[in-house]
Amino acid sequence: MTATLEPRATLPPSRHEFAAVVHRLEAGGAMLPDTPENLMQIVGIWYAYAVPMDFYWRDLLYIGEQVFLHPLPFFKYFISQEYLERHNHYAGDDADWRIWRGEATAHPALLKFMRQGETRPLPRLLHHLWHDRINMEFAEACMRAMLWHRGMGGQFDPYLDSEEYKHNADRAIRAYFQGNPLMLGLYRLFPDLFLEQCRQASYYANLGLFWEVMAPVFFEIHDRYLEGTIATVKDAVNFLVNGIFAIAGRPIYHHVYIRGECYEVIPKSRGFMWLYEAALPYVEAVFYRTSPFRGTKSYNAQAQMVPDQQKDFHYGVLYADKFPVGTAGIPPTLLAQDMLHFLPDYLVDYYRQHCRGEDDMLNQLAVSFQRSMYCVTSAVFQALRAALLYPLDDPNPRHLMANRRFFEAQLDRFCRREYGMRDAARLRDIQSPDYR
Amino acid sequence: MLSVLIAGPMLAALAVLLVREPRQVRALALLLSALMLAWVGVILGRFDVAQAGMQMSEFWPWLPNLGLNYRLGCDGLSVSLLALNALMTWVVIYSTPIDVERPRLYYSLILLVSGGLAGAFTAQNILLFVLFYELELIPVYFLIGIWGGARREYAALKFLIYTAISGLLILVGCLALGWLSGSPNFDYPTVQATVNRLGVGFQVTLLLVWLLGFGIKTPLVPLHTWLPDAYVEAAPPVAILLGGILAKLGTYGLVRFGLQLFPLAWAQLSPALALWGTVGVLFGALAAIAQKDIKRMVAYSSIGHMGYVMLGCAVGTPLALVGAIAQMVSHGIILAILFHLVGVIERKVGTRELDVLNGLMNPLRGLPTISSLLVLGGMASAGIPGMAGFVAEFLVFQGSYPIFPVLTLLCVLGTGLTAVYFVILLNRTCFGKLDSRTAYYPRVFFAEKAPALVLAGLIVFLGLQPMWLVKWSETTAQALAVTELAQAPWTQGHFAGLPSVHSPLQP
Repeated sequence: MTATLEPRATLPPSRHEFAAVVHRLEAGGAMLPDTPENLMQIVGIWYAYAVPMDFYWRDLLYIGEQVFLHPLPFFKYFISQEYLERHNHYAGDDADWRIWRGEATAHPALLKFMRQGETRPLPRLLHHLWHDRINMEFAEACMRAMLWHRGMGGQFDPYLDSEEYKHNADRAIRAYFQGNPLMLGLYRLFPDLFLEQCRQASYYANLGLFWEVMAPVFFEIHDRYLEGTIATVKDAVNFLVNGIFAIAGRPIYHHVYIRGECYEVIPKSRGFMWLYEAALPYVEAVFYRTSPFRGTKSYNAQAQMVPDQQKDFHYGVLYADKFPVGTAGIPPTLLAQDMLHFLPDYLVDYYRQHCRGEDDMLNQLAVSFQRSMYCVTSAVFQALRAALLYPLDDPNPRHLMANRRFFEAQLDRFCRREYGMRDAARLRDIQSPDYR
Repeated sequence: MLSVLIAGPMLAALAVLLVREPRQVRALALLLSALMLAWVGVILGRFDVAQAGMQMSEFWPWLPNLGLNYRLGCDGLSVSLLALNALMTWVVIYSTPIDVERPRLYYSLILLVSGGLAGAFTAQNILLFVLFYELELIPVYFLIGIWGGARREYAALKFLIYTAISGLLILVGCLALGWLSGSPNFDYPTVQATVNRLGVGFQVTLLLVWLLGFGIKTPLVPLHTWLPDAYVEAAPPVAILLGGILAKLGTYGLVRFGLQLFPLAWAQLSPALALWGTVGVLFGALAAIAQKDIKRMVAYSSIGHMGYVMLGCAVGTPLALVGAIAQMVSHGIILAILFHLVGVIERKVGTRELDVLNGLMNPLRGLPTISSLLVLGGMASAGIPGMAGFVAEFLVFQGSYPIFPVLTLLCVLGTGLTAVYFVILLNRTCFGKLDSRTAYYPRVFFAEKAPALVLAGLIVFLGLQPMWLVKWSETTAQALAVTELAQAPWTQGHFAGLPSVHSPLQP
């Protein structure tokens, strides 16, 4: 599968507000302008994102599979050695579905940071209390966005309301609290409460399995960029699109391990696929929607500042303000802080040359991250177009027009004036290199 | 000793004209202003706070035929303002951008004004005072007219006209006093001894002339219309000079040449003066609330705060006078920090518009330290306890309430209104969401923060240790107190029971 072919000049120019972006997408490119500076930023930030992500996916699976419904999960971020050493299924020599060239085990930069932090080697509890650690709260916020929005397509989410799921969850809950009459009594009194917690654990697993794929993807893109085999933004998008198709059918499931026994709350046999049950809901929930961030910016629902429908929420990374204080979107401060620890040297040098240098590096990298996420979204557009519509070099003008309608419909989400969506979208901003 | 404070800056003004390198000009001006500040420290060290009369007096007969003598001296009122003058001069020079145009002329004029002010605060000959009073007119005109904003020429001309009229009124009052009283010269002690030869009607008339003259300078409502233009159009350091110390020349004149020289007439006019001050407080606060330009807002706040000084002076009791003198000093410091911070904001953000500014407290891309200091300055100006502004206003109110309770309560309301406009200013400027599309402001360097940090430290220190603010003027205030007020009908039965000057703050 490829998206690199040049478009044929058989269509009139687009009249869309973002016509230049439409033409770029029709040429197999991204919403982000294809410049070496943009490429350097997005590839560098993907590397800085991949390192903490290597922890996120491991700990998400640890929480979903091991911590599960622990009523006082104080140590849920204290990942077990088993999960820290858990081999990635898609990278490493012993991967059962090796697609990417990276190592199976946790990235060395991550292990070094876990030992040392920003300060110095200390007991893990002290690092945790000092907040000198990977901010799992960010990963949990993403997971909760997926859980809270629900109903974003696919079969995974409806399955959580099915009788089969409830039966499987009931088995797991009873086994987990075996010998604990207090919790079992509470379960009897408030079964829906426990069931909802179980659904949340399922989303932990869902997101963990999603990011297990993405971490090695980003590592490899960075390696290839350093080698010179990824030389344009379009190359990077193509790599993502190819990766999406290579991995699209991998299973999404939720297993819980209780006293050595595996309880299949969502069995692999249900056939939930990575692309439709994890990737697309994740993009919808985290890139577009999330929720009004509980920062210093206040939203007045009575003044129509908050949409009536959750599908119209627009607080995700594609709309988020880069400022960590008083902003909308995913808790950006925590992620930016995580990425700051792992920035490649060339990106640090780049940031030092702009704005306030080291003083506002968190802001600058947050903007780079936003650019990179527009690229990932572009890859999703291209993947959906390839899956549902026509090749970019299709000789039939009607097919090309259908492709255009698809791209324009996607971009319309950044043009809507309701609730200030048009102003909030950053697509306009990322077209300029001066947006930092 | 006092002559050093006059001659020093004036010689320094000449010295900086001889230096070619702009950076050396600034360094020299800064060094010399620091030396003057240190010298004031020496004077404060030698000043006897228990002595009521003039200290460190100097005398040199200059033009005896005209009654003009070079007679200097300082009491608690003078020494407080001398210290403020030296500090403000240093702050003004330090807060001036390094790349200021025509630096030699600029720093020279600043130092010239500083020397003139020191002369005015120490002059013990009324004609000599008028000379020093007039000396600052032209330098300030140039400071506004050359280094000001877009409407600088208009503002400078307006300042020149108003201040020239003010100077003329003061000169007329001075000459009339000398000639009518038959005083052999214009030396202050001599004039004071002969002033009682004049009838009360003459005294009231002369006092009114000086009230107009000094009222323009202070300024008092409705003589204030030059102030918003001058303060707003002047470069921030010059605005500090204008509001921080130059305006005090007006209030100093009211006390020295109104209250002290004409106590009987002052007692007659006391209720009207208190009402005048109260109107100023309320007008200044309400006008500030209506502003959309933060610099103009601070400028109007200055008018309001001068009203407190007027109220304290009008009451004329020792405690109220201590409060009024403390208010002169604390207002100078607070206004200086506010104008400096507004200047930094304008330089970095490019606007002073309240409707445009937002979210400057943002830790990464905003101006967090400047915003924090602005919050502190606003709190001090609103009279929040623990800061210098509270001490001064509290003393004024405590001194004035027994005599003019209604007017005092209206002024207390004025402090509430001050809090209102500063909350508006701070809420819109510092808080809220920074506009990410425009917020590429340059960073603020430590050198730009330093003057504000010094002033903020002083505001808090004087708020927590108020004796350092008031001890210099207590004895002087006791001597200046208008005892004639005791006979005034509106104070009957109250004057004897007034709180002593020493009661509230003495350990």
